[in-house]
Formats: sequence, C-alpha cells, structure tokens
Amino acid sequence: MRLLRDLPIRRKLVVILMIATGGALVLAGAGLLTLDYFRLRSEMATDLRTLAGIVGLNSTAALSFQNQQDARETLQALVANPSIVGASLYDGQGALFARWARPGAKPDIPLRAGPRGASFRGDFLTLFEPVVLDGKRIGTVYLVSSLDEIWHRLLLRALTIAAVFLLAALAALALSSGLQGLISRPVLHLADTARAVSERNDYSLRAGKESADELGRLVDAFNEMLSQIEERDTELLSAKADLEHRVADRTQELQVANAELQQSNRELDDFAYIASHDLKEPLRGIHNYSMFLLEDYADKLDDDGRSKLETLMRLTRRMEVLIDSLLQYSRLGRIDLTMEEVDLNQVVAEVLENLDASLQAERAEVVVPRPLPRVLCDRVQTGEIFHNLIVNGVKYNDKERKRVEIGYEEGLSGAPPAFYVRDNGIGIPDKHHDAIFRIFKRLHARDRYGGGTGAGLTIVKKIVERHNGRIWVESTPGEGTTFHFTLGKGDSIAAQHAEPADSPG
Amino acid sequence: MAVLRRGLLLLLLLACPVAPLGAQAPEYDVKAAFLFNFVKFVEWPADAFAAERAPLAICVYGSDPFGRSLETVIQGERVGERGLIVERPDRLDDLEACHVLFVSGSEKDRLAAVLARVKDAPVLTVGDTEGFLRAGGIINFILEGSKVRFLINQEAAERSGLRISSKLMRLAVSPGGR
Repeated sequence: MRLLRDLPIRRKLVVILMIATGGALVLAGAGLLTLDYFRLRSEMATDLRTLAGIVGLNSTAALSFQNQQDARETLQALVANPSIVGASLYDGQGALFARWARPGAKPDIPLRAGPRGASFRGDFLTLFEPVVLDGKRIGTVYLVSSLDEIWHRLLLRALTIAAVFLLAALAALALSSGLQGLISRPVLHLADTARAVSERNDYSLRAGKESADELGRLVDAFNEMLSQIEERDTELLSAKADLEHRVADRTQELQVANAELQQSNRELDDFAYIASHDLKEPLRGIHNYSMFLLEDYADKLDDDGRSKLETLMRLTRRMEVLIDSLLQYSRLGRIDLTMEEVDLNQVVAEVLENLDASLQAERAEVVVPRPLPRVLCDRVQTGEIFHNLIVNGVKYNDKERKRVEIGYEEGLSGAPPAFYVRDNGIGIPDKHHDAIFRIFKRLHARDRYGGGTGAGLTIVKKIVERHNGRIWVESTPGEGTTFHFTLGKGDSIAAQHAEPADSPG
Repeated sequence: MAVLRRGLLLLLLLACPVAPLGAQAPEYDVKAAFLFNFVKFVEWPADAFAAERAPLAICVYGSDPFGRSLETVIQGERVGERGLIVERPDRLDDLEACHVLFVSGSEKDRLAAVLARVKDAPVLTVGDTEGFLRAGGIINFILEGSKVRFLINQEAAERSGLRISSKLMRLAVSPGGR
C-alpha cells in the first residue's frame, strides 16, 4: 500500500484497475474450480451408477444361472473404460461371485457386498449397486473408479481459466491504460496549472475543464479560487502601495519633527548655558559689592545689618553653585562624547585618588571585589558617573563604618555588563525612586547630609542615557542603596531589572 | 470335544439352508431354480395366456424328479403381474395349457410324441435327456462336471412363437460343442 501511495496517479489508476480485475478473476477462477470439483465428483458418481446399472443388467442371466464365466466376461468388458480399475459381482446372498481387476492395478475388492451407494476413498470412487431382475434383487455390482480423470479434467479447466485470466488481464491492462486518462488527464492538467501558478506567481492562469463530473467541479472550484486570489492580490498590492506611501509620509513627518526637536533641544541647552553663564556675572557683582559693603562700611553697620549682608553673600554663593550645576548639566547636552575603549579600573582609581581626602575624613571605605572590564565609553564622563555615585554613597550615610562597593554583572547573551555602586547608607524609600533623578530635587533639608545642589543623579542619568544605557535603583531604607547602570543598549538587562522596586534587597 | 462336535453340527445345520444354489446343491434343486429363472428370460406371445393376469404354469410330465423343490422355488414369486403355479398333468391333451413343460427322463422313449404334441404351441419345453433338442425340444440341461448348464434350440423356440432373451442365449452351451 505504501508503494502504491507514491506512484504517479496514472500508474496508480492502472494498478488499481488491474488489482480489481485480477482479484475478481482469481476469485471467479477459484470459485469455478471448486464448483467444478464438486460437480465432477457428483457427475462421476452418477456416471458410475449408470455404468453399474448396465453391468448389472448384463449380469442378470449370469447371476440367475450361476455362470461365473459369463459374469467375468461381462466384467472384463469394462476394460474399455480407462477410469475403472476393478469390478466385482456378488450373488443374492452377498457372497463374491466374480471379480475383475485391470492389469497392473490392485484394487481393493471386498469379499462381501456392502451397502448400496458411492463413496470417495483416497484416490478412488467406489460404488455398490444392486442387480435387480423382475423387481427382485438377485445380486450386487461393485465398481472401483480412479479419480485421475477428475484431476485431469480439473487441470485442464485450470489451464483454460489461466489462459482466460491472462487474456483478460492483458485486455484489462490495455483498457485501463487507455481509460485511466479520463481521470488522470484532468488531474494532471490541474496539477500542472497549480505548479505554473505557484512558480510564476501568475494568478491569471486558468485550468481547462474537460468533463462535468467531480473533476470538472474541482477544476471550476480551482479556477474560482484563482479568481479570488487574483482579486485579493490586486487589492493587497494597492493596499501595500498605499501603506508604503503612508509610511514614507509619516517617516518624513517624523524626521522633520525630530529635527525640530533636536533644534529646540539644542536651543534650550544653549539658552540654559548662556543664561546661566550670563547670570553668573551680575551674581558675582552682587557678591563682590556685598563684600565691599561689609569691608568698607563695617564701622557704620550694626550687627543686624552685618548679619543680613552675610546672609546675602551666602545666598549668592549658593546661587553660584546652583548655576554651576546648571552649566555642567547643560554642557552635557552640548558636547559630543569621545567614545573609546576604556579600562574602568583606571577610571575608578583616578576618581578614588581625587576623593581620597574627603573619604578619609568621612572614614569611608570603597571596595572593588573584582577587576572591572574594559568598555567602550567616554572616559571623563564615565568617571563623573562613578564620582557622583561614590560621593552620594558616602554623603547619605549615617553608619559608623561607611562602605561603598563597586562591581558589575555580566550581561546575558551579548548584552553589555551592568555596573553597580552599592552603599550601606540611609536608603531611599520606593516612592522616591523616580524623584531622585530630577534636577535640584532634594529629599532632605538643605543643611542635612552636607547639603548639595541635587543635580548629581540628574547628571549621572543624563550621561548614562547619552551612552544609550539605563540606570535604576534598588534600596532598603536604613540598610543601603544600590545603583545599577549600563553603558550601551542592553535590552535583556533592562528587561531583567525592569521593575527594580519590586526586587528585594 | 463335546463343544467342538456341537459346533461342527451347528455349522452343518447352518450351511445347508443358506448354501447358494451352486455345485454343492442337489442337481434337481438347481434345475428347479433354473426352470423358474428361464421364465424371466423368455417372452410368451400374448395369446398364450387365458387372461391378462392368468398364472404362468410350470408343468412336469412323467415321473417327478424335483420333489417339493419346484414349489419351494416359486413360493411367493411373481413374474410381472403373473403368479406361478406348478402342474403335473397326466394326459398329453393337457400339455398345451402349460407354459413351461419339463419332460422327465422317464418319458425318454416317448419324447417325439410328447414334443410333437406341443410343437406349434407357445410352450417352453425343457428336458435333460440325450437327444432332447433333436427331438424338437427347446432347452436341454447338461452337466459340465458338477455344474448344470444348458443347450438351446432357437429354431424350435421361434417355431413355438417364444422369444428367448439374448442374455439367456449367451449362457447356452453351443450345440456344436456337444
């Protein structure tokens, strides 16, 4: 069946027809032979009974007048029938009266007559038939017939059937080879058309219809399908063109908007820079004149006046710091990054060297458990990141032994490493995790934890983002804070730490 | 010994009644059976019988050698529709009423006269005397060894209007051989 399945349809049809025809012929032949066998047996029994009747009729006188010689002669006449291998006659009392055996044959001839009837025994058919004269049984005929003739006739019949079978098979082969085209031709034509359509992508092709049967309906359905596909193809093409057109339009719009945005961003940075730069000068004047006033008119000012002037000077200094931060921040947007391969161990070492004095004063310890990797980044600005985070870790820390740890985790499947700066400081409540990155946003009173402008984390975030990186925070209030950041695109890391607020520790 | 003797006796007793009509049977028992069997192989003209179902008469003329064996043979037998009777006529005039006439050996010297009497009548004449056929008889018993055989004079049979079956003719010993 598996072999048949993969045959070409035209061969398949011929094979199926041949199997059907052949099977029918074989069955019919077997049936005929079986029928013949039983018919021949029954015919043979009938023939033998007739023969026994004739022998009996010819033996009536011999039996009546006890003439064994004559009886033997009668039996001998059976030599003319080649099937008969032996015969015998029994008298009215059933005793053997005369017997005859074909020369060379050794038939089993019973000594006494048996019950009337034929029986097949081995290769022989035997028959007891009464001899009747005037309605009176005067003896019995016994005949032994060889079954050779049956087998001979069956063989002849089988040969005839085989010959007919062969002729019928040849005729069936010729017919089916011719007729299979009725089914296979439309199917093959359909298959060719389908292949042509798929190879050339030409949906305007159509299959020709040859008949009004199921195959014809199949062809119709196929053509109908092609029409629909063609129609949809056309619609799809126009929709695609339309879509491309719209995408191009949108891209154009976006490019314009982007350019405008960049322009306004730059203008904003310029404005902030110029504004803060220009603001510094009058501020410097205010400060200087306040100082002149305090020095030159010290004798004319009372304590209250002096105190107010000192406050004025403190405020101007503070404003200067704020403006410096703003300048630094706006400068970040204005200058280009200098990307190079940087050994971060060196960067961190330089930062720590600069901070050495203040770290010692705060009695803070900074550890790097394992060497940091080399990455592609802007050396100076990356140093700025570490500087700000270390300073934060030490500044917002009320522990006796302040500790800051710097390390990294390898990125998964090609993603860039994620660096971290961990402290054992006061921590940041979850609700403030976004606010800490806003410029000039301070969580604490101005004079607590050493003051500061509140621009440090904003600057760090801006540097990280200019490196196409991400920064996020994990913290447990009272125990410490960990800042994580990447330098470069790291989707998998970002996804891994997408909701840092939920992760424990 | 006693058992053996009794067994032997029993065997003899059994053997006698069932013994086939063969060589061992007394000669006239065989001949009686043959007389009856001839009837089945011979055809009489229709006018040989007084009526359609009239019995067929087997007659014995002269001193009877059969005893009761003829009666035993025909006991309960029929030939076609007809029954059988055995007659022992004394007078020559009665012989024409017979269908089968056995002429006893006692009539050896009067054969010609007896046979002449039924010469043209449909009577199957049977005898066992020498020269029976020559005298015009139809069937003559002879002995071949211990076996009973017979000769047939077909001319005489035809003259009497009797038809003798070819099967019977085949069994007859050819007259030339005697």
